[in-house]
Amino acid sequence: MTSTARLGDLAGGVEPMPDRAGVPSGRGPRAREARWALLFLGPTLVGLAVLSAGPILATFGISLTKWDMLTAPQFVGLENYGKLLGDDRFLKALRNTVFYTVVSVPVGLVLALGLAAALNQQIRGIAWIRTAYFLPLVTSATAVALVWLWIYSPTGLLNDFLALFGIPPQRWVSDPTLAMPSIIAMSIWQGLPANVIIFLAGLQAIPVEYYDAASVDGAGRWSRFRDVTLPLLTPSIFFVGVLALIGAFQVFDQVYVMANPGKPSEATITLVYFIYENGFRNFKMGYAGAASWIMFLIVAVFTILYFRTQNRWVHYQ
Amino acid sequence: MTAPTSAVPAAAAAVARAGAGRPAPRPTRRLVRKGTLYAALVAGGVAMMIPFIWMATTSLKTRAEVFTSPPFSFPTGLHWENYANMWFALPGVTFGTFFQNSIVIASLATIGQVITCAMAAYAFAVIEFRGKRVLFALILATLIIPFQIVLVPNFILYRYLPWPLSDSGNWIGTILPLWVWAFFGGAFGTFLLRQFFLTIPRELADAARVDGANPWQIFLRVYVPLARPALATLAIFQFMWSWNDLLDPLIYLRDLPTYTTTVGLAFFQGQFVGKWPEMMAGALVSLLPMIILFLVAQKYFVRGIALSGIKG
Repeated sequence: MTSTARLGDLAGGVEPMPDRAGVPSGRGPRAREARWALLFLGPTLVGLAVLSAGPILATFGISLTKWDMLTAPQFVGLENYGKLLGDDRFLKALRNTVFYTVVSVPVGLVLALGLAAALNQQIRGIAWIRTAYFLPLVTSATAVALVWLWIYSPTGLLNDFLALFGIPPQRWVSDPTLAMPSIIAMSIWQGLPANVIIFLAGLQAIPVEYYDAASVDGAGRWSRFRDVTLPLLTPSIFFVGVLALIGAFQVFDQVYVMANPGKPSEATITLVYFIYENGFRNFKMGYAGAASWIMFLIVAVFTILYFRTQNRWVHYQ
Repeated sequence: MTAPTSAVPAAAAAVARAGAGRPAPRPTRRLVRKGTLYAALVAGGVAMMIPFIWMATTSLKTRAEVFTSPPFSFPTGLHWENYANMWFALPGVTFGTFFQNSIVIASLATIGQVITCAMAAYAFAVIEFRGKRVLFALILATLIIPFQIVLVPNFILYRYLPWPLSDSGNWIGTILPLWVWAFFGGAFGTFLLRQFFLTIPRELADAARVDGANPWQIFLRVYVPLARPALATLAIFQFMWSWNDLLDPLIYLRDLPTYTTTVGLAFFQGQFVGKWPEMMAGALVSLLPMIILFLVAQKYFVRGIALSGIKG
């Protein structure tokens, strides 16, 4: 956390004495420039100190206390962390969130890749076709979860459809083993457009000459995709992967809506829901803070491990 | 409009265009292939749209019809009264109130982000000052940190900020925590606009400086006008995020009259279990502004995502 430690110096030097911050060499054009920088960055620096980077440290401080917001906080050391590791609901939330991430990220990525390749065509009306695929992009997870709840309901569309093949109706949302996969399927549908758009941009940045050269060498459609497209697209794939990974850990809205009415069972509770429930329903600020820090660390570990794999499969031109 | 379009990297701009050049196969095979491709793409597109179609048809059926008729049948009559029932379903407020709250919050948050992110982006792109790289790296880092880590301290902050007009005497229960933050910069907007500002030729700023303009005037008269497409992209994304947000409004809003459309919908669902036509009507109405915005400004959505990789 060396970078956040520096924030203190920066913000501290900024607020009381605007003229002095970051200007060692007195007057002159550079000093004047720096003063202008301060003016432009003023709101951002306050936001960073008070609303984002500062609070990350504050969360850790709060996590060492017992605090219900009615009485004064009480220092309890690492007790909250110890309690969390023995809290069955927290461990379920952790397991569900990791399950959600390791399934939804790779499946979503592969589907988006295939779809992007299919949509990367020069045919009439492609703009309209793409619009249909991109539409879920702008929809709120809340409204989407409501529709899917209805699709998944015992008398809903999915069971009606499966009945055509003689498959008996399933309880997609209330059956503990099916609940999480159902939520994952819905999230993949909603997350597809953003990933497809990034992949499309990546595909269209590949120089045509590469394909021409491959064709001259006698490469077929599939081998062109495997030997030209895929390696050149790995930076995009890596990038989408990072975003999908971090985003997946934050899953909340779908779970909130689907676990009617806002009280998920242990089958679908996620980390963010656990934080919400403890912090803002039960006002256990210290406990919620500790859960936030554990989530932060887990996301950091996953992200670092993911970055470590980079050398093995990502080809930068 | 030449400078703004040329500022968008080729990769992103290319999304608007179509296709990669491929060597042409023989005519008949090409026709068959093209036909299959069309069929598959259209079928897939319809499949993607099923939830929307299902939402629309359900919203026009009667409650009895929903459970008895075959799934993809059209409604027997157009039961628009479902929309009226939904609109007036909750005591003391209409769905219009939620709409109004969402519009106010999303608009204020958008204004705040566009102004303060543009300012910060200008500093990072144009002005030289000590600690620039470290500060920019720090801002980028907050972009990939899950924001839930700051939920607890932010809640505590707003709990102690006084507000005489609210029942609690502080910001909890008001819409303030949902938009005031936006006036204090943001990682996504700063990053997006900085990238754009970097593509604007420095000679333009130098020329203005020679004419006696100070950095603020250069920012307002040279950079802001040229960056209009990028500013529009940020505005659209921020509006959408605020409009679709559920977690923050859930945490901060206490009374029905302050609810946004998302919290209103979630509340509605808890109250009216099984009333699918009304619920689908509500979901569809809440999505409509975003769907229209998307159809009008698809270019900006696509460009914003392709440029920055940030999701909707």
